[in-house]
Amino acid sequence: MMTTLTLVQKIQESLAHDLWVSVGLLLLGLLCLGAFVAGLGLVLVYVERKVAAHFQCRLGPMRVGWHGVLQTVADGIKLLLKEDIVPLQADKMLHVLAPFLCFLATLLAIVMIPFSPIVQLADCNICILYISAVSGLGILGILLGGWSSNNKWSLLGAMRAGAQMISYEISATLAALVIVMFSGSLRLSQIVLSQHSGWWIWRAPGVGLIAFLIFLIASIAEINRTPFDLPEGESEITGGFHTEYSGLRFAFFFLSEFINMFVVSAIGVTLFFGGWMPFHIGNWQAFNNIMDVLPALFWFLVKTGTLIFFIMWFRWTFPRLRVDQLMRLEWKVLLPIGFVNLFLASFMILGRLYFFPI
Amino acid sequence: MNLSEFFKKIISGVISLGKGMRVTFYYLVHPKTVVTQQYPENRNDLKIFDRFRIRLTMVHDEHGFHKCTACTFCEQACPNGSIRVYSQKGKTSNKTELNSLIWKMDRCTFCNACVIVCPFSVLKMTTEFENSVFDRRLLAVNLTRYSGPTSQVLMKVADTEERRKLIEPRGVYDGEVYLKIKK
Repeated sequence: MMTTLTLVQKIQESLAHDLWVSVGLLLLGLLCLGAFVAGLGLVLVYVERKVAAHFQCRLGPMRVGWHGVLQTVADGIKLLLKEDIVPLQADKMLHVLAPFLCFLATLLAIVMIPFSPIVQLADCNICILYISAVSGLGILGILLGGWSSNNKWSLLGAMRAGAQMISYEISATLAALVIVMFSGSLRLSQIVLSQHSGWWIWRAPGVGLIAFLIFLIASIAEINRTPFDLPEGESEITGGFHTEYSGLRFAFFFLSEFINMFVVSAIGVTLFFGGWMPFHIGNWQAFNNIMDVLPALFWFLVKTGTLIFFIMWFRWTFPRLRVDQLMRLEWKVLLPIGFVNLFLASFMILGRLYFFPI
Repeated sequence: MNLSEFFKKIISGVISLGKGMRVTFYYLVHPKTVVTQQYPENRNDLKIFDRFRIRLTMVHDEHGFHKCTACTFCEQACPNGSIRVYSQKGKTSNKTELNSLIWKMDRCTFCNACVIVCPFSVLKMTTEFENSVFDRRLLAVNLTRYSGPTSQVLMKVADTEERRKLIEPRGVYDGEVYLKIKK
């Protein structure tokens, strides 16, 4: 079994004999993370706008650069230069803090994702637990943002966000637990390695697929994208929790929403689609060898990109749910199915009823 | 709610969501469904729809005559008074004839009522849409090219010289347009 050193482990090792090397590594890691997140944000916003446009028989951005590729850069510069307004009656400190808290939660989650066997910033033995805990921090950012704006719309949006995210967190975690039980580890890199002989989505017959669907629905709700974008609800509560935000702070909310989409897709891919594992078909040795040539990072990004496309597809097809429908979907549909699924999975593991049991 | 009903509802819900997703995916993979027009670039081969209504004009025949009898139906049909018909007594006959027809584009709602109501189909909406001007006063225009009787009356006069005596040419900004009104 492969063992790789993550950046955090390297920093810890070098800390013992050379402080400055560890500081340098830390800065390098932060720089890479920042560059990756900023670049990813730009790309995702552009792709989202283009995909949305074509779903709606439009062209999307076409003016800035070739087919509008520089549109998001222009928008970013505009947001940076915009006046940053804090309402007079707002709680100033919380108002300023909230978007960064939201963004921080996203960054903390991205740290744990195994991009390839050699690219992973940090790894620990309770990755899944850590990620579900950290995504709760994002809710805190949204709640604080809505509360501190001192605005009825914002408060309504924030309260909706709180109710929604905490409800759907349960289903997402239950679905992730199925895979944790199958692979026998909470460590994400270990979960990827456990899928060497096959991805969990088909190796766990039926159960894996249901767990994946529940995970997908619950995590879309958790990152509050349409059809679950009640906290924003432009047509109902004029932008929800970020009504009072402008300029750079709004950009941080916006960016964290898009990076969250990447994080959710990446975790979904890691749990159900073999992470960076290449696509293999049974005993087709020649085919499998060709697939192995492609780098692990490529496989990871392709799978994640596909899942992101699906999430965008949902967004531009489905209408927004009502609050009572949202709660009914979680507590009366997803949660019972999730529990039954978990039971079935545990019986399968005990009876070794899945493909290629360890 | 029993269990089979529960699953039936879920499955029918998923199927209807799938139908919606098929529709949007069809739009995504068929770029020909895009309706956006890149306006300044495609100015030469711009396709404008027939029912597009922007500029009101008056139909003049090949001799430059119109059929307007100054009946003021269009003026009465106009919901906000953006059309005004000015008539005069004819030079030789005592019949009413058109002096000028003023159309104020800045207040027009492009409702097409004047076109529908016209008994002789004199008025027509055209698709000429680049009408920006720097002065609002330029938006009130006179639609007729001459003041005088209708083409039917004029064509009865055989001599062209005689015809010319009956009519008086009118420019776009002749008559009671904003430009002529003193403050």
